[in-house]
Amino acid sequence: MELSERYRRRPGLPWREEQEAAREALAALAAGRDASGEGTLLVVERGRITELNLLGGEIWKLCDGTRDVGAIVEELLPRFEVERDELTRDALEFLADLVARGWVVPA
Amino acid sequence: MSAPGKIYSAPLLVNWSLNYSCNFSCEHCYSRFEKADELPAGQVLEAGRRLAQAGVLFANFGGGEPLLRRDLLAVSKELTALGLSLSLNSNGWLLDEAAATGLRDAGFVSIGLSLDSHRPEVHDRFRNRTGSFDRVVAAAGHLVRAGVKLTISTVVCRINHRELTPLLELAKRLGAAQVYLHNFKCSGKGLEHRFELDLEPLEWRDFYREALGFAGNPDWPEISFDDPILASLGARDAEHGIPGSTCGKLSLHLRPNGDITPCGFIPLVLGNILRDDLRTLWRESPVLESMRHKTAQGKCAACGHYAACLGGCTARAFAVSGDLNAPDPHCWENPCG
Repeated sequence: MELSERYRRRPGLPWREEQEAAREALAALAAGRDASGEGTLLVVERGRITELNLLGGEIWKLCDGTRDVGAIVEELLPRFEVERDELTRDALEFLADLVARGWVVPA
Repeated sequence: MSAPGKIYSAPLLVNWSLNYSCNFSCEHCYSRFEKADELPAGQVLEAGRRLAQAGVLFANFGGGEPLLRRDLLAVSKELTALGLSLSLNSNGWLLDEAAATGLRDAGFVSIGLSLDSHRPEVHDRFRNRTGSFDRVVAAAGHLVRAGVKLTISTVVCRINHRELTPLLELAKRLGAAQVYLHNFKCSGKGLEHRFELDLEPLEWRDFYREALGFAGNPDWPEISFDDPILASLGARDAEHGIPGSTCGKLSLHLRPNGDITPCGFIPLVLGNILRDDLRTLWRESPVLESMRHKTAQGKCAACGHYAACLGGCTARAFAVSGDLNAPDPHCWENPCG
């Protein structure tokens, strides 16, 4: 996977952001607590509910096919206290998983 | 008191009885004695908008026979455009080639057809309609040819519990992607015919043991159960991680007039989709609260499976005892407890 590639969410795959949970996760991050285990966005496929955490949910929402992976990283950098290399690595790994699941497709 | 598992901000699924009218009179029907005005198309759409705004992802039409509603396809197309993922259950009688393509074009992701036996005469007798087997088999063909995902819906009861393999073979031949094995509910006509149609607890155990042998096998259609008493066989639907009944935790039910109940088999009205805020009801309803925090009673109190099954199907317990916390009458554990 390259930073120049673009992905979009698979059309018709049901998902929903849990806004209250996302607010709580943001508040936890702001307070310096680890919120990576908190599900803030649900993807439902074949009756199976998968929870994405805050970072995963934000990447998911940005996968609309209009920006490449590098642009997604740039957009998220100011919002998460993390080094660029680490965020890039996490985003690439996460997106590779989404591609393998068939949840995002090349745009 | 039991822990409910995670409760999300709104239901994910709404089982929606658009109408109670039906062209069949099946032996087990939960809704045959139900009466409720049907919402006109405009109010169905408003209800759909409210569901979508609340974050509901899936709506499954039942009833009644949904295809009796002449505005079904037009309304469904608009509900799909709102972002709802639609499915429906039908007896198949009215599902000809044109209906199949219409359902596909309206955006339905799956259609469930009621089929209760591989033997035509058994199915017809259960559904009280001569020729219904042939019509539902034909309907399955129309759906598969139209490219619609086909689910076979079977009400497991005394007429079919020992004939699962031939039923699954038929479902496979018909091109079904999924077979949904509905556990018998003692509601409506189901309660009236409970003693002739329902199985004894140990028969349920034996049936599920056999059925679980087909689950997860790619040679067969996907098997779905959604019965919390499977927990005592170590096989509860693990994917959603919700112990006990999912009604009131992941799903709700709408009656034809928009009244909201926890599920189609629990006649406790929580509010109305056109009048009340769904997320507020979901969060604050005392009925849902008691369903999410059940208290073990009777034989459940000492049962090691309670944390996973939470007393089994709340609707069945309520139907036969009037108590949401009563043990599921299908449960085979601790029979003398």
